[in-house]
Amino acid sequence: MPHESLLPVALINYISLSLVIFLIGVAGVVLRRNPLIMLMSIELMWNAANLLFLAFARAWLNNAGHIFAFLVITVAAAEAAIGLAIVVVVFRSRENVDVDEVAILKG
Amino acid sequence: MSLDVHQMGIPGSYPALFVIWLLPLAGAIACWAFGPQLKRYAGVLGSAVIGAAFIAALVSWNIATQDSGSQLGAEQHLFTWLQGFDFGLLLDPLSLIWVLIITGVGFLIHLYSVGYMWNDNAIARFFAYMNFFVFAMLTLVLSDNFVGLLVGWGLVGLASYFLIGFWFFKPSAVAAARKAFVLNVVGDVGIMFAIFIMIAKVGSVRFADVFANPHALDPWLFWTCVFLFIGAAAKSAQLPLHTWLPDAMEGPTPVSALIHAATMVTAGVYLVARCAPLWLASHEAQILVGTVGALTALAGALLGIAQWDIKRILAYSTMSQIGYMIMGVGVGAFSAGVAHFFTHAFFKACLFLGSGIIIHELSDEQDIRLMGGMRKRTPVAFWSMLSAVLAISGAPFFSGYFSKDQVIYGDIEHGDLWLWAIGLLTAGITAYYMFRLFFVTFMGTYRGDLKPADVGIETEVAASTAAIKHETSEPHAEDHTHAPAWLMAVPVAILGFFSFAAGYVMLPGNSPWAHFFAHSFPLERLPASTISEGVTTGIAIVMLIIGAGIAYWRYATPEALQNAPERLKRESETLPAILVRLFYWDDVIDWLFVKPSQKLGDFFGQWFDPHFVDGVVREVVFSNRFLGTVVRSFQTGLLRAYALIIVFGAACFAVYYALEGAMR
Amino acid sequence: MIEFYILAFVLIASAIFVIIASKPVYSVVGLLVHFAALAIMFFSLAAEFLAVIQIIVYSGAILMLFLFVIALLSSGVAPFSLGSDRLPKIAVPATLGVVVILGFLIYGLAHIPAVFQPSPVAQSASGSQAGPVGAADVFGSVGDFGKALFTTNLLPFEITAFILMVAVIGVILLAGESAPYVQSRRRARIVEREMREAIMRAGEE
Repeated sequence: MPHESLLPVALINYISLSLVIFLIGVAGVVLRRNPLIMLMSIELMWNAANLLFLAFARAWLNNAGHIFAFLVITVAAAEAAIGLAIVVVVFRSRENVDVDEVAILKG
Repeated sequence: MSLDVHQMGIPGSYPALFVIWLLPLAGAIACWAFGPQLKRYAGVLGSAVIGAAFIAALVSWNIATQDSGSQLGAEQHLFTWLQGFDFGLLLDPLSLIWVLIITGVGFLIHLYSVGYMWNDNAIARFFAYMNFFVFAMLTLVLSDNFVGLLVGWGLVGLASYFLIGFWFFKPSAVAAARKAFVLNVVGDVGIMFAIFIMIAKVGSVRFADVFANPHALDPWLFWTCVFLFIGAAAKSAQLPLHTWLPDAMEGPTPVSALIHAATMVTAGVYLVARCAPLWLASHEAQILVGTVGALTALAGALLGIAQWDIKRILAYSTMSQIGYMIMGVGVGAFSAGVAHFFTHAFFKACLFLGSGIIIHELSDEQDIRLMGGMRKRTPVAFWSMLSAVLAISGAPFFSGYFSKDQVIYGDIEHGDLWLWAIGLLTAGITAYYMFRLFFVTFMGTYRGDLKPADVGIETEVAASTAAIKHETSEPHAEDHTHAPAWLMAVPVAILGFFSFAAGYVMLPGNSPWAHFFAHSFPLERLPASTISEGVTTGIAIVMLIIGAGIAYWRYATPEALQNAPERLKRESETLPAILVRLFYWDDVIDWLFVKPSQKLGDFFGQWFDPHFVDGVVREVVFSNRFLGTVVRSFQTGLLRAYALIIVFGAACFAVYYALEGAMR
Repeated sequence: MIEFYILAFVLIASAIFVIIASKPVYSVVGLLVHFAALAIMFFSLAAEFLAVIQIIVYSGAILMLFLFVIALLSSGVAPFSLGSDRLPKIAVPATLGVVVILGFLIYGLAHIPAVFQPSPVAQSASGSQAGPVGAADVFGSVGDFGKALFTTNLLPFEITAFILMVAVIGVILLAGESAPYVQSRRRARIVEREMREAIMRAGEE
């Protein structure tokens, strides 16, 4: 049962905020050509999810939300590391840092 | 519907029936399988097999005529397929007559063929086909049910196709075989429809069950008879399905003798005679059959006047004589019709085989305008064919006289004056053209050395009088010996004798013939006819004398014989076009059926198939390619595009769950 | 309540800035502001431990990683040489952002106990109840979180460790030493062996 009284504002606000940040992150992934910006936008998306987890954990007084948020942070870190490694490897010997130029999966 | 099983013959186990029926099949298979090894001995084997079947048929006389009051003959059960579909063999007097003719005359013709086909490379194939034909014909007449009859019907059509097109390297033979087969199929369909009606109304296809109560077929009784008659007309070359018979003369002469004179074309007569109870129950059907028979008889005779090919003359005479038989069984004079079949088998086979001797002698010349004076060269043919011509014209003391008069008198006995008159008129015309054939072929001097134009043969002539210069381009055997003469002469002589003598079993009064058929056909009580038999016979003889006389005056007087070439040439030029064009029948059928069918075929082949059938396939290909292109456009290799697609999928999921939650 | 809306505004504004910034370094700074605001939001949700983890791990480690990679890939790109020109452009928004963040940090820390009140029936999965921030064994405290992590959720924790190890190995393999070095290493060993044999043969003579 949501104990909405525990939250500063109603739960719906957290949901909509999280959604907005998530969509901004999506927009960043799709609209930018720099791979680093794309990775950062992915981080935005992770954080939006984290926010939601913690909001509900607080509302329902359930620790599982915290645990999951912790896991999310960890995995996001790992993913960022690997993603950056890939970016480094792929774009090390290139002129420009543009994802559209790496379209070798075409066809 | 409850089905009580009736019997036509006395049921039992009759091994003789199997011998008669299956021996020709065994011969056919042996000749076909061992043809290359047998060579000419295939002929010996084929003839021996038919001879053995004939002897078996003679031996079966007793069982065929055994009579237990309600059942007549011998019935051998073969197997049961469904209720109402019991297949078996039936040998009663009616089928025995046919079996005797098929195997007896068949044996003589097989023997003759050994000589006729002596130098043909494919002689084994010929005898395989001939034996197969005999087997098929026996299936037809020995069946005790309509389906077995239909099977035999189809198989004889097939055998006819094989044999007409025996010299398959001749395009005209192939075309004729195809024409015969197509028209026969029309008949097959007719019989099939009749069988459908029987199954629907009676629930059984056995003769015994259907004949037990013909009125069970009401209200379709008339149509059943009509459908059956369509089959009979196709097979027996009656109007309007007669056009295949003259073209069928493309086959070897023994084929014409056996199939297209003595046996296969009489299958229609057999059918009508067998289904006597049905016809007797439907008066309208009888009128139809009788009229068609009479008209065919007249038409055949008229067309025979205008022919110059010896085999075509005989073909039209066959058509005409079968018209007589059909007329006889149509009005209800079953015994008379069958009697005419009996005698006709002898004299027609004799005529064909005799003409075969002449053709063989003259190296495949078939136009009678280039014959003449054959009396000295082929005496056996001369005397035998004289006997046969007298028989067919109805000369007294010859067999045809007895049977033809029975038929004509039967017409008036059953009260039909018109048919009687047509029968007598046709008898006269028959006498005329048969004697014309005889005189032009045998009398006078041999005209074969003359130029064709001198006797009126044009090189480009309509189908009817096409000089079918029989190019026997079949490869001749290496040892080009001559067949022993007796092989061809003896059968012809025997047939000539029977053309004379066969009628004596039918002498009026308590004849063996009437006794034989005493219980075969339902008895009819007929009122006394207006014209007596004596008057009929007298008028018939008068017509014979008139016809033969005119022929003699035109062709056989000494001055006519002298001027033969000019007379023939004049006649060729002045023949009425309608007769030459065969009453334009072929043209009408061509215009009505052949050309529309060709147009339809063209339509489907040229337009429909490429557009719709091929079009469907092309559409499948096109749509596949289109879909592939669409899907391929997704594979851009662009990371961001892929990301967008993933987002889109995730959004769908989110929307779904949100809606699902909202529903709850 | 007002804090929430201000924080929300900051979050959204910085997120938008991240994605529309023209240079990657701008985006990193924007992301930094975003993470800081998020940490304050976490504080307001009584998730103290995670708020601090967010700052340490995310802003401290991951963003640094981003910066290093930007540096690696930006060699030869002109703007970095124009260092001094950069500053005025970043300075004003960065300063304002820092001010805002600090302000909220202070305000939040001061007012957090008043933001939420312990609810008498509130009981978390690990038996902890809501309580003031910093207090031990209340919902969201380090002790409470640690207890949950090492007892109920031990397996996910171990798997997390595994994931991190995989990431490290992956990064080393991906961006690690390249092939020529290995070849040259092998060549070096071969050369070494030959030299040793030559010396031994020389010694035998």
